[in-house]
Amino acid sequence: MNALKRFPVLTAMILGAAFMVLPLLIVLVNALKSPAEYSANGPLSLPRGLYLNGLTDFWTRVDFGNTLLNSLVISGSVAVFGVLLSLFNAYAIGIGRIRGKAYFLAFFVLANVLPQEALVYPLYYLSKQVGLYDTRLSLVIVFSVVQAAFGTYLLSSVLAAFPKEIIEAARIDGAGTWQILWRMVVPVSRPTLGVLLVFFFIWTWNEFLLPLVMLPSNDNQTVSVALGVLQGQRLMDATMTNAAGLLGALPALVFFLLFQRTLTRGIAVGAVK
Amino acid sequence: MSKVRRPLTLTAAAMVGALLITSCGSSDGGAQGDGKTLKLWHYEAPNSAMGVAWDQAIKEFKKTHPGVKVEFEAKGFEQIQKTASMVLNSGNAPDVMEYNKGNATAGLLAKQGLLTDLTPQVTKYGWDKLLSPSVTTTSRYDARGVMGSGNWYGVPNFGEYTMVYYNKDLFAKNGVQVPSTFAEFEQALAAFKAKGITPLANGGAEYPAHQYLYQLALTKADRGWVDAFELYKGKADFRDPAWTYAANTLSDWVKKGYIAKTSSGAKAEDAGVSFISGKSPIFFSGSWWYGRFRDENKFKWGSFLFPGSKMTLGSGGNLWVVPKNAKNKQLAYDFIDITMKKGIQNTLGNNGGVPVAAEPSAITDPSSKELIENFNKVSSQDGLAFYPDWPVPGFYDVLVSATQKLITGSASPEAVLDELQKAYDAGAPTS
Repeated sequence: MNALKRFPVLTAMILGAAFMVLPLLIVLVNALKSPAEYSANGPLSLPRGLYLNGLTDFWTRVDFGNTLLNSLVISGSVAVFGVLLSLFNAYAIGIGRIRGKAYFLAFFVLANVLPQEALVYPLYYLSKQVGLYDTRLSLVIVFSVVQAAFGTYLLSSVLAAFPKEIIEAARIDGAGTWQILWRMVVPVSRPTLGVLLVFFFIWTWNEFLLPLVMLPSNDNQTVSVALGVLQGQRLMDATMTNAAGLLGALPALVFFLLFQRTLTRGIAVGAVK
Repeated sequence: MSKVRRPLTLTAAAMVGALLITSCGSSDGGAQGDGKTLKLWHYEAPNSAMGVAWDQAIKEFKKTHPGVKVEFEAKGFEQIQKTASMVLNSGNAPDVMEYNKGNATAGLLAKQGLLTDLTPQVTKYGWDKLLSPSVTTTSRYDARGVMGSGNWYGVPNFGEYTMVYYNKDLFAKNGVQVPSTFAEFEQALAAFKAKGITPLANGGAEYPAHQYLYQLALTKADRGWVDAFELYKGKADFRDPAWTYAANTLSDWVKKGYIAKTSSGAKAEDAGVSFISGKSPIFFSGSWWYGRFRDENKFKWGSFLFPGSKMTLGSGGNLWVVPKNAKNKQLAYDFIDITMKKGIQNTLGNNGGVPVAAEPSAITDPSSKELIENFNKVSSQDGLAFYPDWPVPGFYDVLVSATQKLITGSASPEAVLDELQKAYDAGAPTS
């Protein structure tokens, strides 16, 4: 009671954290249960002993190692290309001060709110035309552009506030446009770029519809699509679905933890301004 | 700070390069039609009856086709459902694939010209002789993509039907007789209710609820009624005696407490689990639960056909289809033929599936025998009445919400039936 009064914020945070972690805990608990145990005692009971078959069966069934690699390749490439693309766009719009800046930004925002369902058929036909259907490269291109739409919008407003004195000083010292970008703009806005990189990676990792449509062969499949294999026509395998969910969420979680500092730095930068 | 930057950009550049190379390398062109590879897709779980039987079929296929590689890919139901028309329209189509039967699925693909007409193969291999008429309804589609007549576009390997699953232990413990007529069935429901047990497992948010409804209508129906509703041969009238009886009875059952009012929001999975965990003594649902019940039920249980009804829900199972763009069609036909042979069909039957062409004597498992005999009985008396959500695209959601209203009592049976009529008339083909 005393603690409640003394640390109201802390208690609220702990409660919030418990609330966020609970679903993940339920996934963990059910991933380690046998199907019979799940059916008999329901999803909230604790497992009696460790049942790892769900995890291993799922791993071999979808060749998860390969799937993981696909997701890494696609999400990693998209993160890098998406950030590069956003940077170039935003440099032109935010610092270059091109004409019709507002229209460009509006265009990117519009591209951002476009539902992906509307893109499915055009992308399917286009990729078939150029022979990229069922290749990971097609997804890398598509998502780099999709993510860059948001990235451009965000980075443009960040770079618009870039201190002009620095750029002018550099220009007086004889730096060209290219040099200013790499020597001035990129180092200063690295925290923001880092945040974008992390976001792009995780967003692409979680994408479902386009990978489902564009990558029909299992060899090219991504993690989120592989999870869908367990959805039967009328039945679901609850424990294996949990096991798969666990396997699917772990890599993104690890990535997030690795880049946690980048994220906090990025957020702090915004705060000081 | 600037010291850190250089290696970081370098690694980033290296990463990009490596990623580019690997992602470009994936675009290997599709195999040519050299008769050396069979590309097979299906979406059955590896431990299901179909999964086991088809795995055996692959082994047999390899034995009879030395030097042929089988490229099997396990797919998800949704995955094939959502992407089929795109994949089949490309050069990446498989040679043989499991696909959902019905007008909105196989019928649609057939209409779009994405499937191979299998009629010559069906007569050549004699598959039509193995299948009963109500099973073959879902294999044939006319030019509009409506099932029941026209060319063969798929071959079903298994059947499915609905039955009453019951918990023998709970029946014995509460002194309830196993019913053989509809009146006895209602007496059994009342007996359980009197003991404070809600007898029927139900999932109102998914298919179980409207399968109760349709089954009740079927107790008053005949083949002509089903054909009118499912195949548009005549007018489907939801205010006719059968539908009226069904809606009134279901709402009556809820009022009497045979079906829990709270089940309106439950999923099929919840209904199944409530049967497996021994909470509900009776669950009316499909043969797709059979294997799971066999593995997980910790009590004695059995099944019987819905009492007092000549017809029940069911149909031929999912189809083998051969895409128009398949590269090795002959291999695909050979594979389908293997799965129709006795050996594979018997394996299907012994693993809790419903084979369409097994030898009854080869089924050793007694409970599987019961399952298959009941299917053969329904199928031979032309009693497979398909599923209520088939006739109209999007009818599934209408049925779910309509029966939910029936269960919660937020709409009268008449209003519910009118709602169904409206959706049906809007979606059914007019010709």
